[in-house]
Amino acid sequence: MKKTNIILLVVIAIAIGVIVTMVGDFSTYETFATAREKEGKEFHVIGKLDTLQVMHYDPIKDANLFSFYVHDKTGESHKVIFYGAKPTDFEKAESLVLTGKMEGNEFHCNKILMKCPSKYKDDQVAMGNKEQL
Amino acid sequence: MKFVGEHLLPGQLGHFFAILAFVASMVATVAYYNAVKIKEPHLQDSWKKLARWSFVLQSAAVISAFGCLYYILHNHYFEYKYAWRNTSRDLPMQYLLSSLWSDQEGSFMLWSIWNSILGIVLIRTSKKLEAPVMTVFSLSQLIMASMLLGIYILDYKVGSNPFLLLREAPENMAAPIFREANYMEHIHDGNGLNVTLQNYWMVIHPPILFLGFASMIIPFAFAFAGLWTRDYTGWVKPVQPWALFAVMLLGTGIMMGAAWAYESLNFGGYWAWDPVENASLVPWLTMVAGVHTLLAYKATGHSLKTTVFFFFISYVLILYSSFLTKSGILGDTSVHSFTDMGMTAQLLFSMLVFTVPSIALLIMRRKDIPSVRKEESSYSREFWLFVGSLILLIAAIQVTFTTSIPVWNKLLSLTGLKSLFKMDDIAPPSDVIFHYNKIQIWIAIVVGVLTAIVQFMRYKDTPKGEITKKLALPTIISLVLTGLIAWKGTITYDAYGAGFLTAIYLMLFASIYAVVGNLVYIFTGLKGKLKSAGASVAHIGFGLVLLGVLISSAKKEVISIDRMKMLNDGFFSKESKQNPRENIMLPKNVPVSMGDYHVTYTGDSLAAGDPKTYYVVEYEKKDRQSGNTLEKFTLYPDAFVNRKENAISSNPASRHYLTKDIFTYVSAAPNKEEQAKADTTPYITHLMKQGDSVFFSKGFIVLKGLNTAPKSRNYLSEPGDLAVGADLEVYTQTDDHFKLQPIYFIRDSSYQYSVEDTLAPLGLNVRFSKIIPAENKIELKVKESTDPSDFIVMKALIFPYINVLWIGIIIMVLGTGMSIYQRARRL
Repeated sequence: MKKTNIILLVVIAIAIGVIVTMVGDFSTYETFATAREKEGKEFHVIGKLDTLQVMHYDPIKDANLFSFYVHDKTGESHKVIFYGAKPTDFEKAESLVLTGKMEGNEFHCNKILMKCPSKYKDDQVAMGNKEQL
Repeated sequence: MKFVGEHLLPGQLGHFFAILAFVASMVATVAYYNAVKIKEPHLQDSWKKLARWSFVLQSAAVISAFGCLYYILHNHYFEYKYAWRNTSRDLPMQYLLSSLWSDQEGSFMLWSIWNSILGIVLIRTSKKLEAPVMTVFSLSQLIMASMLLGIYILDYKVGSNPFLLLREAPENMAAPIFREANYMEHIHDGNGLNVTLQNYWMVIHPPILFLGFASMIIPFAFAFAGLWTRDYTGWVKPVQPWALFAVMLLGTGIMMGAAWAYESLNFGGYWAWDPVENASLVPWLTMVAGVHTLLAYKATGHSLKTTVFFFFISYVLILYSSFLTKSGILGDTSVHSFTDMGMTAQLLFSMLVFTVPSIALLIMRRKDIPSVRKEESSYSREFWLFVGSLILLIAAIQVTFTTSIPVWNKLLSLTGLKSLFKMDDIAPPSDVIFHYNKIQIWIAIVVGVLTAIVQFMRYKDTPKGEITKKLALPTIISLVLTGLIAWKGTITYDAYGAGFLTAIYLMLFASIYAVVGNLVYIFTGLKGKLKSAGASVAHIGFGLVLLGVLISSAKKEVISIDRMKMLNDGFFSKESKQNPRENIMLPKNVPVSMGDYHVTYTGDSLAAGDPKTYYVVEYEKKDRQSGNTLEKFTLYPDAFVNRKENAISSNPASRHYLTKDIFTYVSAAPNKEEQAKADTTPYITHLMKQGDSVFFSKGFIVLKGLNTAPKSRNYLSEPGDLAVGADLEVYTQTDDHFKLQPIYFIRDSSYQYSVEDTLAPLGLNVRFSKIIPAENKIELKVKESTDPSDFIVMKALIFPYINVLWIGIIIMVLGTGMSIYQRARRL
């Protein structure tokens, strides 16, 4: 067998090895209920801001504590605690992807990815305002 | 209906040019294709002539369409959706360009313009290869032009027209406002440009990046031309400078994006392994691999097939990256991608148009591609160039695999596998950065070491003993340097355990080895001949990039740690890791200790004509023993404050040193208007004569007299006004002295008004509410805001030795440029 072929095989083996280890890293999208079953492990939860409940961020007391409520896909609403400053435009976010874990009844997250409304919708909203002028 | 106040001509012209570009590039494609297929010289020539003219015509059309769009944006014609969406009247001139390419249509146009320019250069220079190469180019232009059509074909929307009027946009069709002929009277201003894009890097980064994208098609086109016309080797020499050019431009474009990310802290640093960043890094990696296998081929005849593969896959990956960022598929994993415009199928199609024929041709003609029967020696340069390229390929595969998670989800559900195995959607790793770092660091180590060693090997075979002899010096120097830096530099990044720290030390060595090895090679291998040292210079730059990345990330430090709160909640609790407490609250005028500095927030300020609010943050470094001030500077992090929505979007301010950068970033600030409204402290009424004084908590106010011609920026006098101002002097306990002048006036002889004056530092509001002529007194209402709580929440970071990274990039670009010059001269 040619050396190049051996090398190619080795490379393929490494690539497969790398991919297998990588897949182990991959997370899943969960709901609060399923995340609670596996308490302590980190997950992604997709949800919407629960606007009926209060958002709380008081930087004078603690600049790294922001709490709010989120509905997950099943409609279940839970308190979410984020250790950081309140992200800009948080209220505008259409949906939220939270990374973190369940602790008791609260979801402690260390990363928030906000999906802001697409610019197209934005157009509509803004147009609506202009009509009232 | 005839609408009033619209400027339709530039849009109609623009759309005409867009369609002209489409038609002309179609003609160019067909004509060039025929010029390749038809062998009769006379006919071939006339096809070629037609093809050239239509390509030039489409180039002119693309540039004109771009000009029309610029004209629309420049003149603020908000009847056009593109202008309305991406600009506003107060947008500074230079950012008009940023808004021009901030949307998909504009970025396609930019790409298309570069394609046209490169195409014209190739028409003039590629000689025999012109027809096949330009067939590929024209096809690419055809596809690009189709992205800008905005025409419905059988209910499927092809492309998106940048010259669409606001009233024609599907989402606005139903809006009643557009049934008024004079609707333009209601549209005064546009949506404005996303504030994070209002940065000078966003003026220069996209053009360079798209030039990089566009130039990636050249190696693809040359390799394709070679296979297609069965001239398997004629394209190799002319392609070399172009392949290097693509590497240089794409690399520069990517790193300019990194510089923008760094300065705006939008990604929390210069590189965050965000899908959008990864998508353009991957083709760069494969093109670098291709450039190296091409070298091996030129010297020894090995690896031609590999080179073709790398050139093909690099452009395919460029198209894939454009698919990822523009189809909206990344929505859940990156905030930085575009939203879906309904062009997914079209983007996918454009990818397949190039992928299928090229890969099929490579497979079909693989036997015809010349290769060497004899095996490479393990001590030959070409062998290790090949190995190194495969390592880069592994890096590319790993990055692509994780970046494509949303694509895997789509594929799994489309093929029905998801429901078959009852799988859930896969999510990206919860610690994305470490996920990439822990694999890529090993690749960086191997590539770094190879970069140091391989130049010392000869093509074909290196005599035994020669390598060890030549490598001894650089190896010893590098080991000593690594030891020194590890010892003095205290790299103790143990957040991910000892294994990762070991990898960090290995990478430290590998990157130093790459720098030293190539430096030594310039003197011993090339005998100091700088002319042919392009590759070595580029490799030194690459080594420095690795070194800069390593040191700045391993020693990046957040200094704004809120230590007080840490103690409250228990520093050692299980939450301490996920709650790094990186934000700190700075009350106004209270110094807070942060790292080596005492930091004080002293207030905010606005400048006329500038929509941003600037926060004044003073840094002071004192000598611990003597208490003398060693260093003092002020940073002005700023933010666009949207008072209505109580949202701020902030930009960091930084202090640059040779060895480190200090960043300051405002993550939250109180909404002062809201506070003022919420303040329910009552006004206290005082009746005062001239010379009377009243006390308040921080001092007293004296009524000096009345002024019948008062001036204030809050009061605009009108004829017939009867206005009186109260001249007040305020003395405080701290011996400060201020003047106030609240105004009372009667307008139209019946309406009474009062213009309040305030003294912000003391939270003092004074109103002149009444004149009582009978008693010769006036009525003053005084309010002291209970809590003039002004503060900012900020984050401060130190990036050490980031300049090593930037210098490395500059050297790398220079080195590549030197190589291009050398290769192009020899053509």
